[in-house]
Amino acid sequence: MTADEATLARLMGAAQQGDRQAYAVLLEQAGRWLRRYFARRVAPQNLDDLVQEVLLSLHRKRATYDPARPFLPWLAAIARYRWVDQLRGEYRAATQELQDNDAVDEGSEDAVLARISIDRLFARLPPAQARAIELVKIEGRSICEASQRCGQSEALVKVNIFRGIRKMAALIEKAQ
Amino acid sequence: MKRTTDGLIAQLANDLQPVRPLRWRAGMALALAAFAMAALAVVAVRGLSEGVAHGHVSAFFVVANGLLLLLGLAGASAVIAMASPNVGAQHQGPKWALAMVMVLPVAAAFALLGSGSADHSIGGLHALYCIALSLATSALVAAALVVWLRRGAPVSAPAAGLYTGIAAGALGSVAYGLSCPVDTIAHLGIAHVVPVALAGAVGRIALPAFLRW
Repeated sequence: MTADEATLARLMGAAQQGDRQAYAVLLEQAGRWLRRYFARRVAPQNLDDLVQEVLLSLHRKRATYDPARPFLPWLAAIARYRWVDQLRGEYRAATQELQDNDAVDEGSEDAVLARISIDRLFARLPPAQARAIELVKIEGRSICEASQRCGQSEALVKVNIFRGIRKMAALIEKAQ
Repeated sequence: MKRTTDGLIAQLANDLQPVRPLRWRAGMALALAAFAMAALAVVAVRGLSEGVAHGHVSAFFVVANGLLLLLGLAGASAVIAMASPNVGAQHQGPKWALAMVMVLPVAAAFALLGSGSADHSIGGLHALYCIALSLATSALVAAALVVWLRRGAPVSAPAAGLYTGIAAGALGSVAYGLSCPVDTIAHLGIAHVVPVALAGAVGRIALPAFLRW
């Protein structure tokens, strides 16, 4: 079971005051939430690394959380930032097909969670940019393979990846 | 060996130390203190202009510096908010304030085209002097905002850099304006607005590298 927004906010407030037990619970819950958050947008072999990166960022930047505000939009902003960061990196190795059982159960998300989802960020991209990023950066295909699958030239695939990531980086807080 | 998430959580929880949350109020207090110090430095070095010292300033002076002050405060407020990321934050304030300030160069252009004595109206070489000193004055505010951003977690470094430059440029221009003896609309609309644009460009280009985390 995953804690709700109010519980997470309370745990984070306690963590800022040095409550280690509350912090351990918070990190465990945040880790679970992040796994669902990144589902379908991260290659399975990169998921653990990304979740850990976000948890480390949460730890380093925990003072930037304002206890008077909701916790999940804050965590989502950090998660999106690290996700875009990871997309910028190189993922050339071939990857397995994404696992269907990691898919988000969108029916269980309420309106607020849907607004901060990573899909909202992706949805702001033109289809050609989103497809190029999906094929190369998430599924791990080569530029050549991606070019064949999406019908864009190799140069266009590279340009679309570059522009798409740059656009998402500018929309981390705004896309909702 | 790869670290497990459970191991990481145990380590982070064990390392936990209390922190004081970054508050918007504290950030604004820092920005305002930097602005006040910049203004005091200008007054100490150059003194108040005669108009400001005697309370005889033109309406153009009040309008131009009022708009620049609002832009500086809106920009500083957005920058401070950017240090605490939040999906849903739009940071639209500085855009509207900037649009209002952009009326000033338009008014200056009309004044210059209508007067036929551009050099006199804009202040001649003094305009360049104003631009340079406004930029120098803005450095203190920029430093305060960068310090705040580096303590925080800005997720859009280019936007944070741009707004930092705009806020610092606007507040620097207002602070320097206390000592500027020229208060025509042509001078204020160009020589006191150009530093905002220049500082914004510098912030957009130079600051992102210092703001990534």
